[in-house]
Amino acid sequence: MATAILIVLTVAVHPRLFAQNLLGGVVYGLVLALIALGLALILGLLGVVNFAHGGLFMLGAYGAYEIIAMQGLPFWVAFLVVPLAVGAVGVAMEVGVLRRLYGENPLIGLLATFGVFIMIEEATRARWGGTPLTFDLPAVLQGSITFGVGRIATIRLLTIVVATLVIVGTYLLMYRTDFGLTIRAGLQDREMAGFIGIDIPTRFTIVFFLGSAMAGLAGVLRGAETGMDLAMGFEYVLLAFVIVIVGGVGSIFGSVVAGLLIGIGVFVAPVMVRALATATGIDALAVPGIGGIVPFLIMLAILLIRPRGLFGEEGLLE
Amino acid sequence: MSSASTSLVERVRGLDAMEVFRLLRVPIGILLIALLIRPVIGSDLLLGSPHIATTILIWMLFATAFNLLLGYTGLLSFGHAMFLGTGVYMTAIGLAYFDMPFSVMTVLAIVLAATIAYLIGRLTVQYGEIYFAMLTLAFGMMLHFFVNSNPGGLTGGSDGIRSGTTPEWITSLRGERVIDVDWFATLLGYLGLEPDYYWFVAIVFVVAMLGLWQIVRSPFGRTLVAIHDNQELASAMGIDIYRYKVWALTFSGAFSALAGALLMVNNHGASLENFGPMTSAEVLLMAIFGGIGFFFGPAVGAGAWYLVREYLLSLGTVTVPGVGALEVGGVLSYWQFFFGLAFVIVILASPRGGIYGFVRDRTLTALAFARRWRTDG
Repeated sequence: MATAILIVLTVAVHPRLFAQNLLGGVVYGLVLALIALGLALILGLLGVVNFAHGGLFMLGAYGAYEIIAMQGLPFWVAFLVVPLAVGAVGVAMEVGVLRRLYGENPLIGLLATFGVFIMIEEATRARWGGTPLTFDLPAVLQGSITFGVGRIATIRLLTIVVATLVIVGTYLLMYRTDFGLTIRAGLQDREMAGFIGIDIPTRFTIVFFLGSAMAGLAGVLRGAETGMDLAMGFEYVLLAFVIVIVGGVGSIFGSVVAGLLIGIGVFVAPVMVRALATATGIDALAVPGIGGIVPFLIMLAILLIRPRGLFGEEGLLE
Repeated sequence: MSSASTSLVERVRGLDAMEVFRLLRVPIGILLIALLIRPVIGSDLLLGSPHIATTILIWMLFATAFNLLLGYTGLLSFGHAMFLGTGVYMTAIGLAYFDMPFSVMTVLAIVLAATIAYLIGRLTVQYGEIYFAMLTLAFGMMLHFFVNSNPGGLTGGSDGIRSGTTPEWITSLRGERVIDVDWFATLLGYLGLEPDYYWFVAIVFVVAMLGLWQIVRSPFGRTLVAIHDNQELASAMGIDIYRYKVWALTFSGAFSALAGALLMVNNHGASLENFGPMTSAEVLLMAIFGGIGFFFGPAVGAGAWYLVREYLLSLGTVTVPGVGALEVGGVLSYWQFFFGLAFVIVILASPRGGIYGFVRDRTLTALAFARRWRTDG
């Protein structure tokens, strides 16, 4: 109720700013959802909290930099090749490290992948250096498109389209194919799924490839929009965890909803507090940088009200 | 004379030397660490310079306090920097803006950190392990945000607090910090030691580590271990597991804040990094790497972290027999990569033992082998 009033107030006080930030939030939220979806698939199916997922996301962004800025190849090559390459890195990690940890305490998986994350981060620093980087986009992605109420940069439009396609594709794969059925069976009960003849290890590897490739793709898209730096891996893996927990462990599409919720929250909350400050005349209400804390506030609120998350199933990781 | 001390004396008298050592091995170990770490890492064989010895001691204390939670209670805190940071910032703020004595601010910092820990504990311990990790992370990020927003102009935001943070009883002499207190200097003089800041930290370290050791071996600590080993069973035995977890977090937070107060003087002030997620991550890595299943494990991990880092960073070339001199300085400036690799291997090989457990097992095996060989031969 209070939130609804706040939104109405914001729309009344800063309509243009609100619309712009809402759009920015949707784009950001879709990228977050893409990362979190990969993380959620791996977490739900393998029971491994894959901290290295942020490293894979980072590799996606830097891989695009390598191909575009250093090798001079077109953006679209990076767009296709990088997710596949990151997927391959993910598979190597699954085979090399995580296979040994299935069925262990989830904390051990979290810690082992944390070690892998550090390795990826240092390797990235060794290869591409510690300073923030950007690459040039092709002409078609540099412009913006005007529509009804405002303008949208084409790279953002591409992000929206691609992320939506991947999310819908994942939905179809999970809920409209036999493969998805077996994966969901594995999500529900890994042992029993194995008993009825589903080749679980192969499916684990495939899912790991898909999840990693999604992280890589998100990295390419994010890198194209805002560039890349060494802090991005840690930042985004934290956000992805927050999203998975808010969405509910075990619910794949909880992550999508939570990703959008948090993405929009991060962008819209600053406008909301500013509108509140304008309306009430109390400048102190417009806390600078409030956006960065929004994901954690949302997670805290959700966990304290409904510990298993928005769409989570009882008993997972508890 | 109290009956407790009499009985201890009698107990010690009735034991042989080996048993006395066994009884006192942890206090002896703590003393040895405090006394030896500086000369050892200062020797030419290792680093050749003792300048990080103080930092190592402080991080050893922090890692051991952290392990009260992770190793003994089984709770993974992903935001432990908030307690260290509370110690750092409280003392820095008190000294820089209010001319308060360091000791008073340290006590206040410990009380504040313990209070924060207690309240967070009350809110979070009843959820599962992963949830606890994420919730402590969330609280850590919120405190980080709060400090970064520079409330009341007290924390200095991302600049931290730099000036006016040295207690008045410390004077800097040619880059070395000297404790400017007569009785302290006299006391150390009897032992043939210079009254520098290292020995102040060493004394606090010994006292705090003994305190942690007493907590760990008290009925309270044993109960924590029981909860860690089998939560359901502990609960069924009538232990209020949530209360114990809350108090474990509280104690851990209090000792972390003490480490933070020492760190503030060591680092000449407070920086936002002390509150940051990387600090939480570092203490976690150190503890696991050293071995969370042992009292000294995390301390070993903290020592190894700094030694390995300094050692690898100081290496320029390595002479490999048959190959010649190899230029390794470039590769080793990315020492964290190798640390990450070692960490993964340690986790896969022995998740709770770490390197301390690994070395300990090998030593025990070797000792048993030597003993058998002696009796057989």
